[in-house]
Amino acid sequence: MHNTLKLTVSHAPFWHNGSSISSKSRNILLASLLAVIPGCLQYGPAAVGVVTLAIASAVIWELLINFISRRPISVGDGNAALIGMMFAMMLPATTPWWAVVTGTFFAVVIGKEIFGGIGANPFNPAVLAMTIVMLSWGDLFDFNAALLNYSFDFNAVYPLVLSKSFGALPAESFVLTDLLLGKQIGGIGATFGIGLIAGGVYLMLRGYIRWEISISFLAGIFASALFFNILNPELYAGPGFHLLTGYTLIGAFFLATEDSSSPVNFIPMLIYGLLGGALTVMIRNIGTHIDGVLYAILIINLVNPIVDKIRPKALGKGV
Amino acid sequence: MIKRSFFGLVKPKLQYEIIDEAQAEPVSIKASKQIMLYIDQSLENTGNALLKTGDPVKAGQKIAMTDSVDYLLSSKSGQISKISTFVGIMGKKFTSVTIDVDSESSQTVDESFKNVCQTPSLENARDFLAGLPGQPDFNGFFDMDKPVKAIVVLGVDDDLLSTTNQYFVKNNIIAIKTGVDLLCKITGISNAILIVPQHLEQVAGSSGAIVKTVDSEYPSAHPELIMQHILASEDGKSKSKSGIAFFSAEAVCAIGAAYNTGKLPLEKIVTFVSKNGNKQLVSVPIGTPIQDILNKFNETLNDGDRVILGGPMKGISAFSAEYPVLPDTDAIIIQDKNQITERSDTACINCGECVRVCPANIQVNQLIRFLEAGQYEEAADQNDLFSCIECGFCSYVCESRIPVFQHIKLAKHTLESMKAAEESNA
Repeated sequence: MHNTLKLTVSHAPFWHNGSSISSKSRNILLASLLAVIPGCLQYGPAAVGVVTLAIASAVIWELLINFISRRPISVGDGNAALIGMMFAMMLPATTPWWAVVTGTFFAVVIGKEIFGGIGANPFNPAVLAMTIVMLSWGDLFDFNAALLNYSFDFNAVYPLVLSKSFGALPAESFVLTDLLLGKQIGGIGATFGIGLIAGGVYLMLRGYIRWEISISFLAGIFASALFFNILNPELYAGPGFHLLTGYTLIGAFFLATEDSSSPVNFIPMLIYGLLGGALTVMIRNIGTHIDGVLYAILIINLVNPIVDKIRPKALGKGV
Repeated sequence: MIKRSFFGLVKPKLQYEIIDEAQAEPVSIKASKQIMLYIDQSLENTGNALLKTGDPVKAGQKIAMTDSVDYLLSSKSGQISKISTFVGIMGKKFTSVTIDVDSESSQTVDESFKNVCQTPSLENARDFLAGLPGQPDFNGFFDMDKPVKAIVVLGVDDDLLSTTNQYFVKNNIIAIKTGVDLLCKITGISNAILIVPQHLEQVAGSSGAIVKTVDSEYPSAHPELIMQHILASEDGKSKSKSGIAFFSAEAVCAIGAAYNTGKLPLEKIVTFVSKNGNKQLVSVPIGTPIQDILNKFNETLNDGDRVILGGPMKGISAFSAEYPVLPDTDAIIIQDKNQITERSDTACINCGECVRVCPANIQVNQLIRFLEAGQYEEAADQNDLFSCIECGFCSYVCESRIPVFQHIKLAKHTLESMKAAEESNA
């Protein structure tokens, strides 16, 4: 009976499908490169600097918090790097270093760690940080001013500013295929539409993000933009324009789908996405802000716990 | 081990094992020196122990510590060499009885069942047959408050990799028919339903019972889900466990054989899965240590390996290879150290995989937050803890690798022991 063989003893189940948080982070990071690399090519070394600084500082912030709160080191799961990447994707390439570092502080520390770390954040950390820095230093994130010193072979005006100030007509000067190919100014990883869509489709197929959220977010934008467009075609740009400008695509595929702040049931995911899309267009068209995606995502993050109550009855409960 | 598929758009699927021709005939294995029996009774509570160290036992003799309904049947004759306490999962105490087996030539058989087998009845079934392979449970028939309305024979294996019950449907349908007829006779219940996997529907037709099929995806063969989806349509609203007696196909065959021959069949059919994934049915006397089976297949254990009794989703892992084959051990799986995925204490990231796979529609993402905080009563009141059918799927898909299933079992165990304590104090 008393042999020295030490077997592994643990609770069932004895199989695991092999998924992990780090492989999820790795895949999302890889998919985001499809949009980030073209962005870096467009804006040059400055953009590379912003992206790498954002990722590095996000990881360091998380490491610091790990030490301060005496918790196991959690940077290995790649979530901090992912937050840094998401944050950098939204920034203009000319963002000064201190704004990047402050931004990742807001994202990792204020957005995630003070709520208890991964899985406990009520808002998407990157979106929260981006809105904080945008409200604090608005001038830095006015894309027209920020990217003034670049010369492009396309109309270097932030498309959403045009539609906001001058109505639908100038917005129609943008050809949709040009917008898809990234011939517009904006965040480093937010303008190359084809890359974002390809990355998003890859992540949806692999199951790393939920298609219900992305598709319904885009559907919400399409439907509400169409509604405004029909109501007053001179004032409000069409759905194609709204789908391909600003933070729409990065929002649909990378920001709204963040696990902790999004619902898990089927109908709630649809409501969450549709609501996000509709709010985005409403803020863009009748609100005061230029782009509505970030505020819309923060608001749907807030309603997530409530809509997620819509769910099927558990086995043996109810009729 | 079945890994996550490359495409994750739809929820993961785990297929039940399908018995094939190659493994159709079980390999017979003999207990080498000892057999061991774990009786569901704590040693401390057995004041008037019926057995002592040194007592001789005969094959087929009832091994019980008191005059209660919990007993096992010794599969071999021999001499009791040790009686000790075995602590199982969740601190449950068993009495472990070790018997030194007599040589094959000098085996003696206990005759007390032979004397009653001519007059089959529920009483003698309960008194003699509950230790048969497949562990038939007759106690439900004696509960007058909840009369049993239907007998359900499970010709399916309710965990992955195992083909034990399918073997009986495929190769022994006549024995199942005999057993079902006998069960109907002694219980007076005419409503017998045989549950089989789809590929055995043809074979099962000759059993005389009503045949129902379940599909091949885990956990559709879970008794709880069979009741929900298959039996609920039978008689309207009665979706409670009462009123249905479940028997495994193996148990039914054994009951039939016992009454027809007067001998108690005490060889258990077990699906043995080796480290490299080879599956083989083996036939072993109940109580045989797993080590004897390992020796037969030249399987060596190293530090860090895992020995699993039962399937990969719901089984239990053993502390040592001395652990015996018990009447309800349908499968034995050996896992190499490098096949084991470690669990972690990372928090839930709310990805929702568990919610999508849960067959009981539990909001596992909410539930686990309460369980990790130890708030078991809230978990039961607000988050459907007791709806869980214990299939283990949530732990299998968990991205954070949280031992969700273990948390659930611990919570249920804690609440139940609290309730028991309250009742005994009242």
